[in-house]
Amino acid sequence: MVEIKLKLKKKPELPLEADIITPDNFVGKNVADIKKLELYYGKEVVKLGNFFDISGKSTDINDTKIIIDGDLSNVKRIGENMSGGEIIINGNVGMHVGSQMKGGKITVNGNADDWAGAMLQGGELEINGDAGHYVGAAYRGFWQGMKNGTIKVKGKVGNETLAWVNGSKPGKRFPKLICGSAGAFLGIHSHGGIIIVEGDCDRCAGADQVRGAIVVKGKVTKILPSYKKIGEVGEIELPNGEKLTGKFIEYSGDHSVDKNHSKIDKKTGEISKSSNGRLYIAA
Amino acid sequence: MVERKIKTVYDVVCPFCGTLCDDLEVDIDIKEDSVIEVRNGCQIGTKKFFSSNPSGHRYLKPRIKANGEHKEVSWDEALDAAADILVKAKRPLLYGFSSTECEAQSKGVELAEILGAILDNTASVCHGPSLLAIQDVGAPLSTLGEYKNRADLVIFWGSNPVHAHPRHLGRYSEFVRGYFRKDGRNDRFIIVVDPRNTHTAQIADLYIQVKPNEDYELINAIRATLRGVELDAKEVSGVSIEKIRELVDMLKLCNFGVIFFGMGLTQTLAHHRNIDAAICLTRELNDHTKFLLEPMRGHYNVTGANQVFTWNTGYAYSIDFSRGYPRYNPGEFSSVDLLIKDEVDSSLIVASDPASNFPAAAVKNLFKHPLISIEPHETPTSAFADVVLPAAFAGIECEGTAYRMDKVPLRLRKVKDAPGECLSDKEILEKLIYKVKEKLGE
Repeated sequence: MVEIKLKLKKKPELPLEADIITPDNFVGKNVADIKKLELYYGKEVVKLGNFFDISGKSTDINDTKIIIDGDLSNVKRIGENMSGGEIIINGNVGMHVGSQMKGGKITVNGNADDWAGAMLQGGELEINGDAGHYVGAAYRGFWQGMKNGTIKVKGKVGNETLAWVNGSKPGKRFPKLICGSAGAFLGIHSHGGIIIVEGDCDRCAGADQVRGAIVVKGKVTKILPSYKKIGEVGEIELPNGEKLTGKFIEYSGDHSVDKNHSKIDKKTGEISKSSNGRLYIAA
Repeated sequence: MVERKIKTVYDVVCPFCGTLCDDLEVDIDIKEDSVIEVRNGCQIGTKKFFSSNPSGHRYLKPRIKANGEHKEVSWDEALDAAADILVKAKRPLLYGFSSTECEAQSKGVELAEILGAILDNTASVCHGPSLLAIQDVGAPLSTLGEYKNRADLVIFWGSNPVHAHPRHLGRYSEFVRGYFRKDGRNDRFIIVVDPRNTHTAQIADLYIQVKPNEDYELINAIRATLRGVELDAKEVSGVSIEKIRELVDMLKLCNFGVIFFGMGLTQTLAHHRNIDAAICLTRELNDHTKFLLEPMRGHYNVTGANQVFTWNTGYAYSIDFSRGYPRYNPGEFSSVDLLIKDEVDSSLIVASDPASNFPAAAVKNLFKHPLISIEPHETPTSAFADVVLPAAFAGIECEGTAYRMDKVPLRLRKVKDAPGECLSDKEILEKLIYKVKEKLGE
């Protein structure tokens, strides 16, 4: 694996839009070329070399590893649209890290700001700290959010995580999030997302969920009134075939959505076991 | 007795709230060029006309701050100083625009594009969440005339028109007699959903007290009940299941229903998701009867600001031009978030007073950097501004176009001349654009 090392010289005062920092853009370039890459600082176009000390070289995209050091909390869009290779960020990072990423891996050894892994299409995003709001969510007005890949957050995630997530069994796309704890409106408008919360979760988890599964291993502040309790289960089968064991209470929903309502038998009131949304909360 | 020469202007559009009443009569003293009487207007609108009269509060000449004190200067000097601030900035913010006419707003977009600035209007602190929800799930809207002539069930959810839009009830929603609602108030059933027993709630037929910040759960329960789902809960957001069932029956039985929602839905926890759910509820109610909803917009031309920004850039608010093309992301490019994170290095405020309305942390950062204010009279924002450009009141001292809350454009009228050297917002922005272009060498 070839390493390219970037070190932030000084924390920028205004946000630096570093969507240029991806293995795709660095491949086949030497240090001098990489230093000349352009990015936006406010409305000014600046060179990457002005803000970072750079060393290393890259030849093949899947063999490229970018290591970034420094307080990057004001550096946005690192790894946007990347399709392969690896980025390791040692420090806090700004908004949109790994947004719309298609492949490869990003590891953040610190906290990430809002929109981390927004509309992820593939690959893996690992955050070893907390993440902001809208992790893996769809951008404003999009009806299809995260479509594939995995996001792992060790700490807590903010509100509206994985909004409009869009998985598909026939398409073998299973977008997945594993997080320490979650804010409000987890998986809102979910269409087939898999969400596992190791700790607690705030209000309105799975609001407007059509398909998918949300597993909360801790407590939930409040369950939405439109969720219907099914019963206690000892084992959960997730949409991607994985199995989880442990005592959970199974809920079906969100039944305020038309597509889920049709899953309730009109005569008997029984809830169909087929593909409507599920919420599992530790018993 | 002093003899007065009076001129009366009829059919004046009131430039105060989103209701944009268009039947005001204003008496003007010709000699002193001041408003002496306003008829048909509500308390708030009338006061706005009187506030345009010359007083100690009005700016008559441009001002520049020197050694911590404002001093009056010529237009040329003030515009030069303002253009200097804007051209030097790496990330300027242009904010306000909701209390001025569309032509000025369009000039604001032009200036933002030239500067590569961030452009925002007051929707980002009021009905911005409604716009976000509309982008997510669409919206069944209509013009106010439809509600006036047809609505037999009116819901005010988190809005208090008795105080915020005083003539809305009389002109469009409650007491007014419509073509199919000949008996006025008696032909309508009024429901108010609010945590507080407001004056609107006190004149309603049914008042539902919801717990603060729990509107989402209540709408969610109504939606599920409407689908015929038996809920597990006995009570949702402080409202019993029986009451929810009763409410759902009412909603289904009406001929034409409407939800007017205000800041109680958009600016409580869950923000745009409240509206998202309310829109979905309205959409689903159309399986049973005719149902629409309408945001109760505050500033008289905030709808216009959204319209003008949208037809110019594609987005209604929170627009970033730093890359040369418009980008949109409330939360990233919205004024309050930018100011709290201290991500702007100068600001131009047009016809707005963020210092009175923004969180203290944001205002602190606003004052930290150079500030230009285009404002007719002294406000907490303009008092701390480095450059103050005195404006005429749009709709009182100059003409223009404004959009009513239901997106109907109306022509504002000029009833009197502006005092001193005041110019209209449009003229000021035009001059500023000229100066900025000159400095940029275009």
